[in-house]
Amino acid sequence: MARIRILPDAVADQIAAGEVVERPASVVKELVENALDAGASDVLVELGGGGRTRIRVTDDGAGMDREDAVLAVDRHATSKIRQAADLIGVATYGFRGEALPAIASISHFTVETTPRGTPEDGTRLAVKGGRLEDVGSASRQPGTTVTVERLFFNTPARRKFLRAARTETRAAVEAVTVLALARLDVAFRLESDGRVLLDAPQAADIRERVRQLFGAEVADQLIEVHWRAGPLSVAGLVQRPADASPTGRRAYLFVNGRPFRDPFLIRAAEAGFRGAIAPGARPTVLLALALPGDQVDVNVHPAKLEVRFRDRFFVERTVEAAVRSALRPLAAAAVIGGGLGELGGQAARGADVSPGTAGTAVPLSFFAPEAGSPLVATAPRRPLLQVFDTFVLAETPDGVAIIDQHSAHERVLYERAMAELQRGDAPAQRLLLPLTVRLAPDELDAVDAHRTELARVGYAVEPFGGDAVILHTVPNPHPRFDAGRCFQELASDLARGRFGEAHTRLERFAATFACRAAVKAGDRLEPAELQELLERLFACNLPPHDVHGRPTIVQLPRAEIERRFRRG
Amino acid sequence: MKFTITREKLQEGLVAVAASVPTKTTLPVLSNILVEAVPDGIRLSGTDLDIAVSTLVPAEVDAEGAVTLPAKKLVEIVRELPSAAVRLTAASEQRVSLECGRSRFKLLGIPRDEFPSFPPVRFENAWTAASGDLQKLIGHVAFAASTEESRPILNGVLWELRKDQMRMVATNGHRLARMDVPASGGRQAADFIVPPKALEQIRRLFGAADEIQIAKSENHLGFRSGQTYVYTRLIEGPYPNYEQVIPRDNDRVAVVDKQALAATLRRVGVVASDQTHRVRLAFSGGTLKFTVSTPDLGEANDEMAASYDGEPLEIGFNANYLLEILKFMPTDDVRITMKAPERAATLEPSGWDDPASYLCLVMPLRLVD
Repeated sequence: MARIRILPDAVADQIAAGEVVERPASVVKELVENALDAGASDVLVELGGGGRTRIRVTDDGAGMDREDAVLAVDRHATSKIRQAADLIGVATYGFRGEALPAIASISHFTVETTPRGTPEDGTRLAVKGGRLEDVGSASRQPGTTVTVERLFFNTPARRKFLRAARTETRAAVEAVTVLALARLDVAFRLESDGRVLLDAPQAADIRERVRQLFGAEVADQLIEVHWRAGPLSVAGLVQRPADASPTGRRAYLFVNGRPFRDPFLIRAAEAGFRGAIAPGARPTVLLALALPGDQVDVNVHPAKLEVRFRDRFFVERTVEAAVRSALRPLAAAAVIGGGLGELGGQAARGADVSPGTAGTAVPLSFFAPEAGSPLVATAPRRPLLQVFDTFVLAETPDGVAIIDQHSAHERVLYERAMAELQRGDAPAQRLLLPLTVRLAPDELDAVDAHRTELARVGYAVEPFGGDAVILHTVPNPHPRFDAGRCFQELASDLARGRFGEAHTRLERFAATFACRAAVKAGDRLEPAELQELLERLFACNLPPHDVHGRPTIVQLPRAEIERRFRRG
Repeated sequence: MKFTITREKLQEGLVAVAASVPTKTTLPVLSNILVEAVPDGIRLSGTDLDIAVSTLVPAEVDAEGAVTLPAKKLVEIVRELPSAAVRLTAASEQRVSLECGRSRFKLLGIPRDEFPSFPPVRFENAWTAASGDLQKLIGHVAFAASTEESRPILNGVLWELRKDQMRMVATNGHRLARMDVPASGGRQAADFIVPPKALEQIRRLFGAADEIQIAKSENHLGFRSGQTYVYTRLIEGPYPNYEQVIPRDNDRVAVVDKQALAATLRRVGVVASDQTHRVRLAFSGGTLKFTVSTPDLGEANDEMAASYDGEPLEIGFNANYLLEILKFMPTDDVRITMKAPERAATLEPSGWDDPASYLCLVMPLRLVD
């Protein structure tokens, strides 16, 4: 007797459901994606009992006629591709033709649909556990409503794995959130047991969408990314380093308008923040990648959560560079008062969205990245004022920049120290009267361990017996530099691992050295020194952020000043 | 208090004293000048608490007394007065009227009790020195003192008085200047560490031909010539043993033209890094080559003739240190001695026809090949 048999379709559908439909949120995702593929401009999601008792997705998309509707619940029936070749550069969310039959096979499933052209042709279709129960007429506006009830009624094992209703609701909200970020031209609304949890009308730009979804506070902390390298353009929003905290971050990636997950790319984006963010802080990032369809394969995961890049190293490198470039302009500095995304000259270019053009296609130009080169922050020119012997005030095109002199100098010295550590050619001044410095045992160990780095930045250290070392040469980074004190503080910091969480040993050393060698708060600086400090700061890679992730520059926008004086 | 004085004499006295008045101070009375009417004239005094200057100018005193007046305003008024007798009358300690020709001013002063008293320096057993010798020492050495706050002792100039000579030494730990002048007078040996600011006043106030009396109290030094006094706080502590670091075995000797060396250093220094001004000097045969290389900026090369017959030597310096020293070198040619790239180099005048002896020392910068 033949032991190998073709499985009945119903069983195959249930197996497929295991891959595609993990929890109610997966159903929400698949149904909303279908709505978007159908060209909807308004999508309503209703949940009952966290999606366990009921999920209903209503759209105003193209709808289906009766024949199509019946076919749609059959496996591998799809309107989205016709042949294998269409898979390359596929622009719709769905294409596998698996979702509807899979969902229908494990629920009480109802479709009501009316095609756009013939409003009288409404169809109502009921499927239970994959079995077509009823096909009839219905009357409704053009579009489709899919209702999924009693999800997993016939798969008790899967039902048992469901979490609390609140958890499942949260997952469903997240699924809609991701799609709402991808499609600014569509209005999304999610209700759970009658409560509105998400309400996002069509948005003019991504910042507005973020404001709708996460609130104004989050939206105001984000700075824009516009970057292009070869075929790849990266656009989106990242958090100001100073606002990033270890918790509460959000990370979203999209490629050609399609959301995907990729911890390595997130890590590459975080690498763009290196040396500008507090250790352990995790910045929010929303990045949309656009690149030709043949450079990326989206058909590697049943739920299409992952994608594969042809040149993954290039993509990671570009994402890192894109993030880094965004942190450079003055606009990346923290702002006082009403958060305006419009600082730093042209930073806030309108991120216009091209709405889904060809009905079912996902818009490829997502945040409409401009191919322009990154903005370059220029040093403020107007006369400078030092206040509290700690901060420097300077006029910028859009307001007043308040600069922390220590942080600024630290940033300057950090970048120089990194270069010197790699080249090993820091100017080291030989001393006429060598300095003798006494150290604690752990500090002596730390100095021994960092002898090479110390020599590279200019300290020639020689043991002097007992607990002392002798300095024959010292660096001389600025006229106020106190070589002996800097060395002692450096030894103490190195011994106690004060910068222990910096990424590499060199960065750690450079950050420690920069912190200790920089002018301190309370040092009165001459006007010429202020000018030079600012010029050097703005010649750095990341002027607005110091090496601890604190802000170097805080901006008082002109609009905010005008508002306070009611000149607005 | 009431006196009459010529505008010129008043101006002369104010100019001498005004330079010791601090421009910024937290103690308001310090921005004032103390005006005391005494039988043989008026005594004007100013101080910033570290240094005090006091001078007596002849005047016709009708009533003795004292008051303090804002230095800046007083100097400005007197500068603009016509050349005529100036009459100053104090109605009270704080209300002073000043009349000159048809101009009348009323000034508000601060009572003299608030003005700090001068250190009690007694000139009975004073040392003496020729003002010309002091000016020469100060002019060649004081520049080398440190301006950093980390080693206060180096902020001063060491002044050694000996039986038959005087010496000044100053260093900031990177470069050093030392000068000896022969001086007769059979004085008692003494060492002082004096703030350069005070030395600057001495150089400015006393004429080259004056003889200056110098006396010490516990921690102050007083200088006097005629009726003008300068007092200064002394910096305490042992001065580092500079003799030990002045090289005696530098066997590579170059003699170069001072102007040409300075011009070349300034030229290649344009592309040197802002802070350290590192320049590489290569001595070989009859030429001295200069190289500057600054990452992110660029390079410069230059060369000049030099009389040098030692082994070839490459050594790095802070160009600014060399330029500064060259500015004070009294001769057209400069004698440079060296030993090795990591050892101190010295610069001396070459062919100087002067009883004084002058030596500057500069520590090299590390070179990386």
